[in-house]
Order: sequence, then C-alpha cells, then structure tokens
Amino acid sequence: MGAQHVTARSAVRVIFVIFLVLMVQQTMMVALRVGGVHPDLLWLLPITAALADGPETGGIVGFWAGLAFDLVLPTPFGMSALVGCLLGYAVGALTAAVDPRTTWLKPVAALTGSVAADMLFAVLGAILGQPQMVQIDFVALFFMISISSVVFVLPVSRLMRWALAGENHRHSLVPAHADQRLW
Amino acid sequence: MARSRRSRRTLTVIVLVVVSLSLISLDLNGRTHSLTSGIKSVANDIYSPLRQGVDDLIRPIGSFFAGAFNYGSLQSENEQLQRQIGQLKATQAEKGFEQNQLHQLTQLGNLPFLNSLPTVTAQTVDQNSSNFTATITLNKGRADGVAVGYPVVGAGGLVGQVIQSFHHTCVVRLITDGQSKVGVVFGPANKYTAIVDGQGPGNDPTADLVAPGTPLRKGQHMWTSGLQAATFPPGIPVGTVASFHTPSGASQISITVEPSANLSQLAYVDVVQWVPNT
Repeated sequence: MGAQHVTARSAVRVIFVIFLVLMVQQTMMVALRVGGVHPDLLWLLPITAALADGPETGGIVGFWAGLAFDLVLPTPFGMSALVGCLLGYAVGALTAAVDPRTTWLKPVAALTGSVAADMLFAVLGAILGQPQMVQIDFVALFFMISISSVVFVLPVSRLMRWALAGENHRHSLVPAHADQRLW
Repeated sequence: MARSRRSRRTLTVIVLVVVSLSLISLDLNGRTHSLTSGIKSVANDIYSPLRQGVDDLIRPIGSFFAGAFNYGSLQSENEQLQRQIGQLKATQAEKGFEQNQLHQLTQLGNLPFLNSLPTVTAQTVDQNSSNFTATITLNKGRADGVAVGYPVVGAGGLVGQVIQSFHHTCVVRLITDGQSKVGVVFGPANKYTAIVDGQGPGNDPTADLVAPGTPLRKGQHMWTSGLQAATFPPGIPVGTVASFHTPSGASQISITVEPSANLSQLAYVDVVQWVPNT
C-alpha cells in the first residue's frame, strides 16, 4: 500500500470515477429522498481511496472530489474539498493498522466516516457564517447517510480500486512504473 | 525513509487544507466572490447539459418503474395544473392585499405590482442538491435575463430569490432556507410588519419581530412589504400564520408561517425581473 504508485493513467481513471459518482449523485441520488434528505455519495470517494491506497491518496482524492462537487453545490466553494481532504487523510491514517481484507472494515469506515464528514461539514458551515446548516433534521440525515453509505460503499470501492490499481495491487489493470508516478 | 514519507504525506494534506481554506475565503469575501462564482458559472455551463442528458436518459426508466405507462405526460399535466392553481391562489391573495392598501397605493403611483412586472417562466431542473440548503436550480440563466437578486414566485406565492445566475441556469434560495429573510406586512391596513425567517429544509419559516399584543389569527395572510431594504417588490403572498403563542416574558410572539407557495410542487416558476429600488 502506498500513495507513491499512482500514475497518470490512474489519475485519469480517478477523475472518471469522480465524474461518474457526481453524475449518479446529481441525477439519481437526489431523487431518493426520505424525510427530506437524500444519500450523499461524495464522502465514499475519499473513504474508499484511503482504504485502497492510504491517507495521502485519500486526502488528495477527497480534495479533488470535494472540489468537483463544490462546483455544482450551493454551499461555499471549497468546503467539500476541505472536508473531503481531511476525511480521506483521517480514514487512511486510522485504518492503517487494520488488515484491509477484514470484511467489516469498509461498511464501518463508510458509515462512521460519512456521518463524521456530514457533522464536520455542518459545523464548519455554521462557523463560516451559514447557520442554517445546523438547522436541519440530523436524525433523518444520519439515518439516510448511514444506510446509503453501507449500501453503496462496495460498488464505489470497486470503482476506486480499479481507478487506483497499480502493479503492487492485487486487482492491477495497468502496470505502474516509478518514472510515471504522480504522487 | 518511513519518517520522510510520513512527513511528505502530512505536508501534502496541509497544502490541500490551506488551498481549501483559501478558496473558502475567496468565496466568502465580497470582493473576490466574483472569481469563484465565475469558475462555478463556467463549470455549470459545461455540466448542466451533461446532467440534463443523463437525466433524460434515466427518467423514462424511473417512470417505467413507477408503474404507469402515461406517467410522464400525466406528471407534466399535473405540474401545469398545479402551477395554474398556484397562480389563481396568488391572484386571489394579492386582491386582499390590494384592498387593504388601496387608499395608500393610489398615492404611490410607481409602486411595482407583480402583475405589471416582466417575468421569465422557468422549469425546475434540480431541487435541494445539498442536504444542508433549501434551493432549487432553474433552467434559465443570464442569457434569459435572470440576474442575482430577482424574486421567484410560483404555485401560490413567493418561492425565493435568485442567489447564483449562470449562463443557462440559476440557483434559487427558497424561503424555507435558513439564510432566507423576507420583510412582510400583515393585519388591518397591512400596518404590522415582521421578518419571515427560514428555518432550514423541511421546516416551516417563523415570523420574527412581532410584539406581544399584536392582533393575530390563524390563517392570516402575510405579504412582502417592500420595506426591509426592498429585497422584494411589495404585495407578493409569502405565507399564512399556521400557529402562534407568546412565551412568558418574551419580547415577541413566536409565529410559525406556512408558505403560500406549494414548495413541494415547483416544476414551473416565474422569475420576476425586478431590481431593488428601481
């Protein structure tokens, strides 16, 4: 496991995955509304990237995924990028000692990570002059986010592992060479 | 070796955090906000047609699973009817306002009535894209004459205000959003004023700054006043009093307002081309 094996080809695939998840989120997920809230797939990107390739990749993917979502969300520009970056790094650092093949790792990381990210997002928004962000129904939000994170973490994780695949990964599709490394 | 890798990781994340904080500062700063809104505008102009394409592709599948062969056309017809009902309700409510204000309005010849203002009819393409804000995205933007600050009405009354305008789309903050504040008048001869304050998605707004003892009744209409910094033209129905009580020792009545507009049926809305203080 190491972030230094991400190549340009992997980066292009990560961009594709971010775009795909953004499209799914904005067209399908926003329609799946229960109690006024809908699933949020954004946080699964840094979580799965961190689980697949460590805290640095988690942070970088979280930053770029957040930035892409910031472009289409009405919340302050840069906030999703900040939370995504911190989330990816934290998940990578906290799960570094856990065997990645452990079956409970992905659902537990997705559930706790997504809920923590939403809490941080709301609190950060309130601190930055958006008090309405803490006026929502957090019970409904956490319920929806918990369920959806556990359900969708597996497909997103598969996509992310494909995107980040290098020669040292079991599911490698493209060999990575030292001189092609991006980070 | 391991330590240098760890410190490099930390440095990368610190740099990204600093970049994120800088972007947030640029966005929240009034002088540099145009920079980030410009980037958003370009991104939305590219992204909107793509999303519309994907939406058009998957919508029939969703309609199919809804179980009705004519679901799409029925839904469209229903949305059009809802809009017509809303317009009729708005007209009816406006008449009440006009009667109350008649003797004052005759002296204010240039007061902008909604009926005389130009509007742009727009379709809602997205609702509440974030769980943290109450907003809708419309399929009309700067190219169609929609600018930031324009009021948006539909389905019975005031819906909200345009907060971002891109080339072919715009974002509207609903009156239920926590950041929404609307100056209203109510009561006999519309002599009482209040601020209708959004309480976040899914919650009814409240009416603030109403002194104890002010005559109130359930179902009482509230209209935009045009007084508080003239953010909206006067006379647009905002909501009706749903409940009220005065907590002991409170300096104001606690009022819950039910929006006049049917905010769950916002397929079509009108953007009012009204510029404050003109």
